Amino acid sequence: MATTITKTETLVGKRIRRREDPRLITGTATYVEDIQMPGMHYAAIVRSPHAAANIRSIDVKAAAAAPGVVAVFTGKDTEKVGPVPCGASLPDLRVPHHHIMAIDRVYYVGHAVAVVVATDRYLARDAADLLEIDYDVLPAVADPEKALAPGAPAVHPQWPDNTAFNYHQEGGDIAKAFADADVVVKQRITSQRLVPNAMETRGVVAEWRGADRQLNLYTSTQVPHLVRTLVAGMLGLEENRMRVIAPEVGGGFGSKLNIYAEEALMGFVAMKIGKPVKWIESRRENFLTTIHGRGHVDYYEVAAKKDGTILGIKLKIIQDLGAYHQLLTPAIPTLSVLMMPGLYKTKNVSADIVGVFTNCVPTDAYRGAGRPEATHGIERMVDILADELGMDPAEIRLKNFVANEEFPYPTATGLTYDSGNYAAPLDKAMALADYSKILQEQVEARKQGKLVGIGISTYGEICAIGPSPATPAGGWESATVKIEPSGTVTVMTGTCQTGQGEETTFAQIAADELGVDIDNILVLRGDTSIVQYGIGTFGSRATAIGGTALYFALQELKAKVKLFGAMLLESDDVTFSGGQVTCNKSGKTKGLAEIAGATYRAMKLPPNTEPGLVATHFWEPPNFTFPFGAHIVITDIDKETGDIAIRRYIAVDDCGNIINPLIVDGQVHGGVAQGLGQALWEQAVYDDNGQLITGEFMDYAMPRAHMMPWIESSHTITPTNVNPLGVKGVGEAGTIGCSPAVVNSVVDALSHLGVRHIDMPLTPEKIWKLANAGGTN
Amino acid sequence: MKISGSYTLPLPIERAYAVMQDPAVLGRAIPGCEGLEKTGPDEYRMKMKMALASLSGAFEGKVRITDQAPPSSFRLVVEGTGRVGFVKGDGLLKLATVDGGTEVSYEGDAQVGGTMAAVGQRLIDGTAKMMIKKFFDRLAQEANAQDATE
Amino acid sequence: MFPQTFDYTAPTTLDEAVKLLGGGAKALAGGMSLIPMMKLRLASPEHLVDLGRIKELNYIREESGALHIGATATHYAVESSPLVRTKCPLLAETAAAIGDVQVRNMGTLGGAVAHADPSADYPAALQALEAKIVLRGAGGDRTVSAAEFFVDAFTTVLNEGEMVREVIVPVDTSGVSYQKVPQPASGFAMVGIAARVKKAGGKVTEARIGVTGLTNSSFRATAAEKALEGTNGSAADIQKAAALVAQGSDANSDIHASADYRKHLAVVYTGRALIAAMGRAQ
Repeated sequence: MATTITKTETLVGKRIRRREDPRLITGTATYVEDIQMPGMHYAAIVRSPHAAANIRSIDVKAAAAAPGVVAVFTGKDTEKVGPVPCGASLPDLRVPHHHIMAIDRVYYVGHAVAVVVATDRYLARDAADLLEIDYDVLPAVADPEKALAPGAPAVHPQWPDNTAFNYHQEGGDIAKAFADADVVVKQRITSQRLVPNAMETRGVVAEWRGADRQLNLYTSTQVPHLVRTLVAGMLGLEENRMRVIAPEVGGGFGSKLNIYAEEALMGFVAMKIGKPVKWIESRRENFLTTIHGRGHVDYYEVAAKKDGTILGIKLKIIQDLGAYHQLLTPAIPTLSVLMMPGLYKTKNVSADIVGVFTNCVPTDAYRGAGRPEATHGIERMVDILADELGMDPAEIRLKNFVANEEFPYPTATGLTYDSGNYAAPLDKAMALADYSKILQEQVEARKQGKLVGIGISTYGEICAIGPSPATPAGGWESATVKIEPSGTVTVMTGTCQTGQGEETTFAQIAADELGVDIDNILVLRGDTSIVQYGIGTFGSRATAIGGTALYFALQELKAKVKLFGAMLLESDDVTFSGGQVTCNKSGKTKGLAEIAGATYRAMKLPPNTEPGLVATHFWEPPNFTFPFGAHIVITDIDKETGDIAIRRYIAVDDCGNIINPLIVDGQVHGGVAQGLGQALWEQAVYDDNGQLITGEFMDYAMPRAHMMPWIESSHTITPTNVNPLGVKGVGEAGTIGCSPAVVNSVVDALSHLGVRHIDMPLTPEKIWKLANAGGTN
Repeated sequence: MKISGSYTLPLPIERAYAVMQDPAVLGRAIPGCEGLEKTGPDEYRMKMKMALASLSGAFEGKVRITDQAPPSSFRLVVEGTGRVGFVKGDGLLKLATVDGGTEVSYEGDAQVGGTMAAVGQRLIDGTAKMMIKKFFDRLAQEANAQDATE
Repeated sequence: MFPQTFDYTAPTTLDEAVKLLGGGAKALAGGMSLIPMMKLRLASPEHLVDLGRIKELNYIREESGALHIGATATHYAVESSPLVRTKCPLLAETAAAIGDVQVRNMGTLGGAVAHADPSADYPAALQALEAKIVLRGAGGDRTVSAAEFFVDAFTTVLNEGEMVREVIVPVDTSGVSYQKVPQPASGFAMVGIAARVKKAGGKVTEARIGVTGLTNSSFRATAAEKALEGTNGSAADIQKAAALVAQGSDANSDIHASADYRKHLAVVYTGRALIAAMGRAQ
C-alpha cells in the first residue's frame, strides 16, 4: 500500500523528544548482552593480578578438565593473532608489540593471560579459578613522573627510560615573547586519570559460520567499520568475510573508539570452536582493562605584558600512556598542543610532550580527548595571570580574545578557527550571573569570614573531527538515503551513536529536506553489512560531518525525486517541496509514495536515469569546527569541612546552528556532569605497586543525580561556514568548559588566603587544609 | 601502604625475641594461619584461611625471617596468594626493654592486590591494624601459655 | 560477576534457620553486602540461609516502653514506620541516611548490625540509644548491649551459628540528630554522629553520642557526653564537648579521608549533631 505523507512544519531547530528513548528507558533495547544464539558458549578471561611479572608457567589441565569447558587458550595459543593496532603515528614512536593476551610477561593489572570457554558462563568462571599461573613478580611503576626518574623499573625492558616518544611543536617566536614579557607565570597542573565508565560495559559475541566462511562480530563500539577492517586484519580474515554489528551501545565517551584485544580474541575463539561465543565485560574488568582518560602532568609558563596581553605560552606535557598504545593513545596529547592557545590571540607557543609508559592500563580518548586538558591548563593560567596582575578574570579574557573580524583565524598551532564571537557568550554569562553584583557580594562575604568563589572559563574546542589529513583513519563521513517503493524513508549513517540522539536529529534533517513526517523515517547505523563504510561517532563529529553527508545525499535524492515527479507530471517546470512534486503550470501534484512506486516499478524512466531512489554521499570536511562558550560557576565553601557547594552553574555554549535544542541541552548537561566528576570527585588511583585501588564504584566516585547542581544552560549562535548546516558539534563542550570554571571558582574563593592553584579532584580534605592554612597544593 | 605501630609483650626481651622466631608460635599467631611448614632456613610455607565479615578465602603463603639481630631486631615477610588476590606484609620489627616487658615496634609496607585491592580500599587500613593487633595478642597469649606450662 | 555454586535454603521459621546456621550455613538477609562480595568471589559461602521468608523476624512493635524491631525489617521499614518516627526518631533518621533508595528497600537492620561494617550508619544510633541486641543461637536467645556487641571491624560477639534476632531501642523523648559525611563513591559514613540530648531546668541532664566511621568499630563518646552533661548546652559548651569526641581514637585512613581529617570531621559533625539535637530537646 502506498502511503501519502506530507508535512509542512519545519523540524530542524525544534525541541523534539528523542525517538530512541522509549526503548532505552524501558529496558527493551537490544545490547550485545541481549544477543542470544543456539549453542552459545561463554568466555571468562583470566587476568593478571600483578602490574609487572614474568609468567613462569601456566597449567591449564584442571581448568580444561572442568565441567562444561570446551577450550582454554593462553597467550601462546593466540600469539599469531594481532597485534592490537595503534593508529597514531608520531616521529620515532616506540610501539610495543601488543599481543591480544600476554605471552610471557604481564604489564598491568588486568592484562589478559588466558581465556576459558565453556557451555555456561558460571562454569567458565568456575574453571577460570582453576588455572595455575606461576608469576615472578617484578617491580612496577605507575606514576609517569616516577617512571621518568633514573633507576625507575622499566615497563618494557627494551626501553629503560620508559619514554615512548618526545614531541615538539612551536609557532611564532617564543624566545622573543618571553624576553619582551613584563611578567611570567608558571604552574604545574595535573589532569588526573579517569575511568570513562560507560553505563554498558564492553561486550562481544562472535559467530563463525564456517561453511559460509563468515565471521559475525557483535561488539559494543563507536566505530564498527574500523573494527571490521582492523580486526579482520588481526585475525588474517578477508575483510569482506567479516560483518561487525554494533547493536544498541550504552555509552562510550571515547572508550569504545578503539580496537580491543577481546574483539579479536572472541573472533579467534569462535573460529576455533565453531560455535558462537559471548564475553561480557564485568564492571571490574571495565575499570581495569578498558582505556582510561586524561593522565596529564603539565608544566605551564605564560608570558604577558603588564596590561594583560598574553605574549606567549610554553607547555610541557608528561602524558601517562599506560603500558601499551591503544588505537589513539599517543595522539591524544597532540590534540592538547593544538588547543593550547585556547581562544586567545597569542601567536607564540612552544610545546613539548613526553609520552611515558607506566604499568597501567592504556589511556586514550575520553570525552574531550586532549582538549579538556588544554582548556583546563590555559583557563587556569589566565586566571593565575589575572591574579598576578590584579586584573579581573573577565577583563583579561576579553582583552586577549581573537576579535570577530579576525576570522578565519590562523592559530599559532597551525589551525584555522572557522568563526567566532568569543565575547558574546561571556557577556551573556556575566549578565546571567549578575557579575558585578556577585563580585560585591563576595567582598561582603569575605568580611564575614565566608568563602564565596566566582569562576569563569571561556573555552574553545576542536570539533567535527576531522579533515582526513588530520586523522589516522579518514575524517569524512557517509550517508545513504533510500526511499522505499511504498514511500518510507531509510537513512543509513556511517556514524554510530552511543546515546547521542542522532536517530532523532538525522530524522529531523531528512524530514525537513524531503517534506515527510518524521515517523516515516528510519535511521540505521552500526551494521557493516547494511550500512556503507563509515568512520563512526566521536570527536563531536556525528552531526557536523555525518549530518552533512546526509544533507548532501538528500540533495542528490531530491533531484532524482524531482526528475521522476516531472516525468509523471509530464512537465519540466516542477517544484519539490512538502513531500510532493508540483507542476508549476497545472498545479498538479505527485506525492512521494506515488513517485517512489513508479521509480521501482520502472515502467518508464526519465532519460539517463536508473530505477530506484537511493543516494549515497561521502563527505570530506574542509576543516574542523571550533565551538566555544563561557561557563560561570559560583561556589560556597564550608570553611569548617572543605565542602564545596555549587550555588550557580551558568553554561553559555555556542555550537553554531542547533538542530534539536533538547538534545543539545542534554549533551551540555551530560558533559558538565562528567566535567564536574573530574573537577570534584573522580580519580583513578594506582598505588605504588600498580594496583588500581579505585577499581569499583565503592571507591571511584562517579557523579550521581543528587550531586548535580542546576545547570542554567543557554546559547549564542555563530554558525560555521565549514558545512552547509552551520552546526559545529556539542558532544564534548560541557566537559571541556566545566572543569576550569569549577576550579577557578574554588581557587577564587580561597585566593585571598594565598591559594593560587589546586589540582583536581577538589576533595573536601584538600580544600579544608588550604582554607585553614593557605598556600597551593 | 605504610604500616607502623608498637605493642608491648609481657616478656623479657630475649624471651620475646625467641618466641617470635618460633615457627610453631608464629603459625598459631598469624591470623588465619593453619600452620607453618619449613622450606628452608628461616623460610616457611603456610596455608591461611582468612575470614573477615563475608570475605573469606584460602591463601597459600610464605613466611620469611631475615636480618636477624637478636635480641633487638629482625625482618618478617609474610605473603599470601589466593583466588581473591594477594597480601604481602614486609616489616622491620625492633625490640626494646620497657617497663612491663618488651616493646615491639614495627615499620613496613603492606600490599594488597587483586580483587581485594579494588573493593576493599576503605577497609585495608582498618583491617591491617586489626590483623596486626590479633597477631600480637595471640603472641602474648602463646607466650603466657608457654610460661604457664614451663 | 558470577558467584560460586552454593546451596540455598529459605526456611519459614526461626527454628529451622537456626538449625541450618548451626550446620555452618551463612545467613542472607538483604544481601546488600554479601551478594556483591559473592559476585566478586571475595565471599564464597557453600550454603545460604535466606531469612527473608521468616515472618516472625519481620516486625516493628512497641512493648513495655521499648521498640522491638525484627532482624529483617528493612531500612525503609524503619525509616518510614510511624512508630519509629514518633517513638525513636533517631533510628528513623539514621535509617533514612543509609545508602540509596534501592539499598534501603532491600537492606535490613539485622543484616547491617550483624555485618558490623565500620562505616555503617546504624551502629552510631544504636550506641547513642544504648540499644540491646537479641541474638539467637542453638541454645536460645541472649541479649547484649550495643556497646558489647560491636567488637572490631566486621567483628561482633556473634558466635558461629548465631544470628541477630531483634534490636530493642528505648522509646526516646530526647532531642536527636544523626549527621553523616558520606564517602563520595560508596555513600558509607566517613564519619557519622548520632546525638541525643535531654534537658531539664535549662541544664543538659543526659547526653549520648554514638560515633561510626571514624575507627574500626562504632563507639560512644563518653568523655564528650560527660563534658556536656550538667552544662547549659550553649554553643560554647557544645564545642567544648565536641572537641573531645575523637580524643584517643585510632582513626582510620584511606584515599577519601586521612585519619586527621576524619577526626576533625568527627568534631565538627558532633558539634552540628549536638546543636540540632539541642534545638529539638524539650
